[in-house]
Amino acid sequence: LTTFLKTMASVAIGVALGLLATWFAVERGYGFGAVNAGPWIAWPNAGSPEADPYARAVIARSAAIPLGLAEGLLFVARADSQDRELDPACDYRIRGRTPPARYWTLNAATPEGFLIPNAVGRYGFTSSEIVREDPEIVDIVAAREARAGNWLPIAGTRPFVLAFRLYDTIVRASARGVAADNMPSITRERCG
Amino acid sequence: MRFLDRLLGALPFIFGAIIIAGIVHILSILAMPRLAPRDAYARIAEAAPLARMTLLAPIEPGKEFAPFEDPATAAAACRYDLDRGPLRLRGPVSGEGLVALSFHGRFGDVFYSVTDRSAARNGLDILLVTADQLAAIEAYDSEDELPSELRLVAPEKLGFVILRALADQPGDMEAARARLQAIACGVEASAPG
Repeated sequence: LTTFLKTMASVAIGVALGLLATWFAVERGYGFGAVNAGPWIAWPNAGSPEADPYARAVIARSAAIPLGLAEGLLFVARADSQDRELDPACDYRIRGRTPPARYWTLNAATPEGFLIPNAVGRYGFTSSEIVREDPEIVDIVAAREARAGNWLPIAGTRPFVLAFRLYDTIVRASARGVAADNMPSITRERCG
Repeated sequence: MRFLDRLLGALPFIFGAIIIAGIVHILSILAMPRLAPRDAYARIAEAAPLARMTLLAPIEPGKEFAPFEDPATAAAACRYDLDRGPLRLRGPVSGEGLVALSFHGRFGDVFYSVTDRSAARNGLDILLVTADQLAAIEAYDSEDELPSELRLVAPEKLGFVILRALADQPGDMEAARARLQAIACGVEASAPG
């Protein structure tokens, strides 16, 4: 009988561990093929026919419709360059070079990927509308209060994420080659 | 010594649990696309009828048709069921404003994508077919003329095409929507014969 009980217990523990591992893999968006560039993470394989089973599971679970490889590449930052969660009570400076692409866009969203209502009804930036002092460098401030220059409004009380998309980019072919200094850094400024 | 005996006795159960955990994990990951209740296809099905180009709601808080959509884009969907016949997508693309298309299977995976830049000079002309339909169409192809359209074999009969047009300036959203509306999608009349 003890053998039977032990067998049942190991089956139960095995099933629980297996499901827990699945939950972690899917809810946290882990899996293979992630490309890190500073605080930014992209999954170039998510948009290709070679997507691995983890990417497929995450796509199905989140109901996201990934950009195809030929369309572009989405980078998401869940933390600043010092690896601290993005807090809407703080101001953030998003500054630096951007990889070569026909267009890029930037917006703030909830960790689940949905827009956060704000008073001015502005949710993002595109490469065409940005004001540049240096043609090579983008400089955007994400803040609750309006700023001169490139202001990305943020709102709410929950942590947020930044989504940065490259459209019609050659980066997809060499996504592993995106160096951190080719993507803008995210620096926390004043909080409170 | 006694401790070692007990450990050795427990080993088969520990290994068993690890192996079961691995199997359960792999099976649940593989099954996830079929188990997810409100996946992308289900959401698109609520908004877009079969084989009709349908503009999706503007990407604004609370109205997004999917997570991580770009508020600077207009989006349209064409849902297909190849049992009704091949699907043709055709329309002008100027190469001036970004129009990007992605072709998705029933479970959301992308099997083809293209932008206006890489589409043919004379516009977009894509015929989405099953392997059987492709064989039937090719049987009637002229020997010395290349087909003018791009023929794409879908992995499954059900799926959807998402079109996105970028409004790179705040005032350009209407123009972006118009670029999408210029592209038609519909069931192709049955192949000759």
